[in-house]
Amino acid sequence: MKLISVIYLLTFCFALDGTELARLMDIRKTPKDSKADLTMVLTNKKGKQRTSTIRSFSKDGGEKQITWFLAPADDKGVGFLKIEHDSKDDEMRMWLPAFKKVRRISAGKKSDSFMGSDMSYEDMASRQIDEFDFTITGEQDINGVLCKILESKPKESVQSEYSRHLSWVHPEKHITLQEHSFDKSGNLLKEKKYAYTVIKEYDILQEITVTNVLKNHSTRLTFSNMDLDTGIPDSQFHEKYLKRLPK
Amino acid sequence: MSTKLKSFALHQALNHSLRTVILSLLLTFIIGSGARFIFIDDNVMNMLPEDVESRRVWNEVSEEFGYSDFLFVAFGHPGEDALTPENLALTWDLTEAFERIAQVDEVISIATMNKMEGDEGFLEVDELMDSRNVDSLETGEIARYLKDNNNLSSRVLGKNKDYINIIIRPTPHSYPPPLVDAVLEITAKYEKDYDFHYGGEPYIAGTIPELIQTESSKLMLVGLLLMTLILLANLRSFPAVGMVLSVIFLSGFAMLGVMGWIFHFTDSPKFYFTMVNTSMPIVLLTIANSDGVHILSRFFREARKHKDVNKAVTLTMNQLMLPVFLTSITTSAAFLTMVTSPITAMTGFGVTVGAGILWAWILSATFLPAIIALKKWDFSHASLSKPSILETLIHRFGRNILKRPKSVLAAGLTIVGFALIGIPYINVEVNVVNMFKPGMPIRESAHFLDREMAGSMSLLMKIEGDMKDPELLHDVVKIQNYLESKPTVNTTVSIADVIEEMHKSIMDNNPQYAVIPDSRDKVNNLFTMYSMSGDPDDFESLVDYDYEKGLITAMMHSISTKETVEISNQIEHFIQSELGDRQIQISGLMMFIKDFVDLVVQSSITSIFGSIVVIFFIVWIFFRSWRFGILAIVPLFSAVILNFGLMAWFGVDLSHFTALLTSIIIGVGVDFAIHYIAEFRHYSENGLQDDEISRQVVDDVGYPILLDVFSNMGFGALVVSSLIPLVHMGGLMVFAMLSTSLGTLTILAALMEIFREKLIYQYRS
Repeated sequence: MKLISVIYLLTFCFALDGTELARLMDIRKTPKDSKADLTMVLTNKKGKQRTSTIRSFSKDGGEKQITWFLAPADDKGVGFLKIEHDSKDDEMRMWLPAFKKVRRISAGKKSDSFMGSDMSYEDMASRQIDEFDFTITGEQDINGVLCKILESKPKESVQSEYSRHLSWVHPEKHITLQEHSFDKSGNLLKEKKYAYTVIKEYDILQEITVTNVLKNHSTRLTFSNMDLDTGIPDSQFHEKYLKRLPK
Repeated sequence: MSTKLKSFALHQALNHSLRTVILSLLLTFIIGSGARFIFIDDNVMNMLPEDVESRRVWNEVSEEFGYSDFLFVAFGHPGEDALTPENLALTWDLTEAFERIAQVDEVISIATMNKMEGDEGFLEVDELMDSRNVDSLETGEIARYLKDNNNLSSRVLGKNKDYINIIIRPTPHSYPPPLVDAVLEITAKYEKDYDFHYGGEPYIAGTIPELIQTESSKLMLVGLLLMTLILLANLRSFPAVGMVLSVIFLSGFAMLGVMGWIFHFTDSPKFYFTMVNTSMPIVLLTIANSDGVHILSRFFREARKHKDVNKAVTLTMNQLMLPVFLTSITTSAAFLTMVTSPITAMTGFGVTVGAGILWAWILSATFLPAIIALKKWDFSHASLSKPSILETLIHRFGRNILKRPKSVLAAGLTIVGFALIGIPYINVEVNVVNMFKPGMPIRESAHFLDREMAGSMSLLMKIEGDMKDPELLHDVVKIQNYLESKPTVNTTVSIADVIEEMHKSIMDNNPQYAVIPDSRDKVNNLFTMYSMSGDPDDFESLVDYDYEKGLITAMMHSISTKETVEISNQIEHFIQSELGDRQIQISGLMMFIKDFVDLVVQSSITSIFGSIVVIFFIVWIFFRSWRFGILAIVPLFSAVILNFGLMAWFGVDLSHFTALLTSIIIGVGVDFAIHYIAEFRHYSENGLQDDEISRQVVDDVGYPILLDVFSNMGFGALVVSSLIPLVHMGGLMVFAMLSTSLGTLTILAALMEIFREKLIYQYRS
């Protein structure tokens, strides 16, 4: 808390730079764990939609995550476990009820699609401050809030599907309300919009909409039945729990 | 035509020659100035009708699964292993470069393919080649994976593994020529180090228009030069040849102007200048040449007799004004029947050529006599003092024909009868690759792709139903197996292949599981598993978003439309007998071209017979006798039978191109019969002995007809083209000229001689 207070003080004394803003976003108060039901609606360029409902438990800022498909009926019971590691490849396992088998899945690339959506694993992960160059390029009003526009460029050593991102950041809450991500050629690739709700003093994502501009395909992810800081044990993120759909 | 109008035109031409010439030039310039509005559209696909059932299915398939006719680029060194780190790096570079082309939707190559492998509970869905620079170990791994997955390998590797294939899927409604240009520009710098081959419908569609335009314009110039030389050899006067050519060029200019003006005011795509319209100049040239040749040769004849320019012009125009008008109106009418063609561009073609012909008539009736009258002719010059060799020959020819009219008629009818027997054997088909002569790179490349790679054409089958249902998927496999048993089919691709591959992978790469799973839930689990790390677009070309429609693509040899019909009938029969009431539609560009060719052939034949009926009525009305109407169409009928019959005997396929061309050229050939009948009628009422009439007619009409024919035969130069359609154009041009002119000078002349008394009596009475 002391550190946060100092940073806030500095913010008032000096003009904020990009890296400081990114740091403020990084240290924003978040729950230790969460339980939620997600409704994922995929819409293709012809307007056709696919809807899935997923129950998700996550911990440590999403580093550990276990999910189960609740709907559509075809997918009910399919489970997915992801554990991120700093020093080795991430661990991903899947329970396929029709085959009665758990299969490990290759971590693949960061640019791979997450569950067939427009979000990649890179989109799901938080940005490491030392891997990006941050600049504040201006301010713009988003839904009545004068947001800071933060440009994040991955450093040369970092593998990324993007050349840069522009994020519209709430100046006080340090949450992203909108983001544009550009591909390696500098073309706009994805538009992302975020909506939040406040639960237990946390600003918690309630809805994410990602549009792949090039493919004209979009994903809307809505969170419901959220339960935070329930003390999910580490042991919950284990293969054996994949097979049991929690009530 | 009213005598007043004729007298007025003649009066203007003779008494106000300069003014008439200037006015004609001015009006031609005003009309021709519309040429600046011409909109050139050389996208072959735009010419094809949208409302044909197979095109509708094809459009639906393209809309749902993306464009399914691919452009293939194969490279390598014959006999050397293609899978080397260097070649894979080049595959990577080419793939990236092709992906950047605006008209490219997707590139399928070793650099873009995914691999799916399972081992000891671990399932990997990853890129087959994850970076540009792979070492020999990784190259070996790629080679192993392709060896284990023959279905993938057959698409991206040659049968002898010495060539790498890159498949380019164009965006729907893309325009092939710039796509082909962009691809060739990318590969150009590697051509010296590698052997490259290209193929597929987009490649051919992108290459043909420019090839045809380049080659036809070059050979047409040769034809024009030959025409000028032939005219010069017979008319023996530079100014006279210049006058014939001036009518041709001025009417051509006006024709293009009409097209431009109509497009300017209507914005109608029917008046785009397309590949079909490139033949307009040659068609008009032939017709306008006929008017000029008849007038000039008659003028020389009269001038030789009377040694007086004005009198010669007056006699010429009095005699020829009506037949020239009639030939113009009948030919225009014949061209206007093209508005019923299923090809949009043919409406503009018919209307524009029709307008050009009418302007050629106006110039022949005003400008030409005026310019003849303005010229100071030297009556001692050979052209005005003695007949040409052709004139002397036709005089002898005519006498011989008319000595034995019944024998000539019998001989003519025998030849026509012989041709008639051939008609049922005419072969209606198109093989796009065979449009190029053997040895041409485009043809050899297509054969290379057929022989060494997956082929250069594709046939599509759209299946409707629950695409996760194992029963339906088993049927898909059955169809694929059936297709692959055909010698023309190299390989097939469908969602069933992916499901089998996923099934095998999830079961630790056990080949026993390379089959469709036994339950729908399992199939669904496989898709869900794939979606965890695969791109959602990976199956876009195989199954629709709702898994309610699937697509089987058969990669095959280049085949003709006839073979397409055979194979599609066999598939339909197989589906009916083996799969019952499955909803399966066969599609693909080949299926559509087959329907399109049938449509064009049918409409061309309708147009030919429509023209004949129109010509019959026009001649009946103007010559006030149905008998003359019948006689006018006799040479045309004979020419149609000869044309189609001899095409069958000589093995020339009846395609959209040859059918269209025949209808055009036959429209041109009607002129000869009208000139003959008009001349016959003229001498019937001008006090000539009855038994002298036919001889005089052959003398007067035979020479310009043959001069017209011989000069137009300069366009026979097109037969040396390397493009078969142009060879056919040149050959048919020569043949149709010969058949219509000889039909007139033998069958019609003999018939009119046999029924001379009746015709003269009827006319005089």
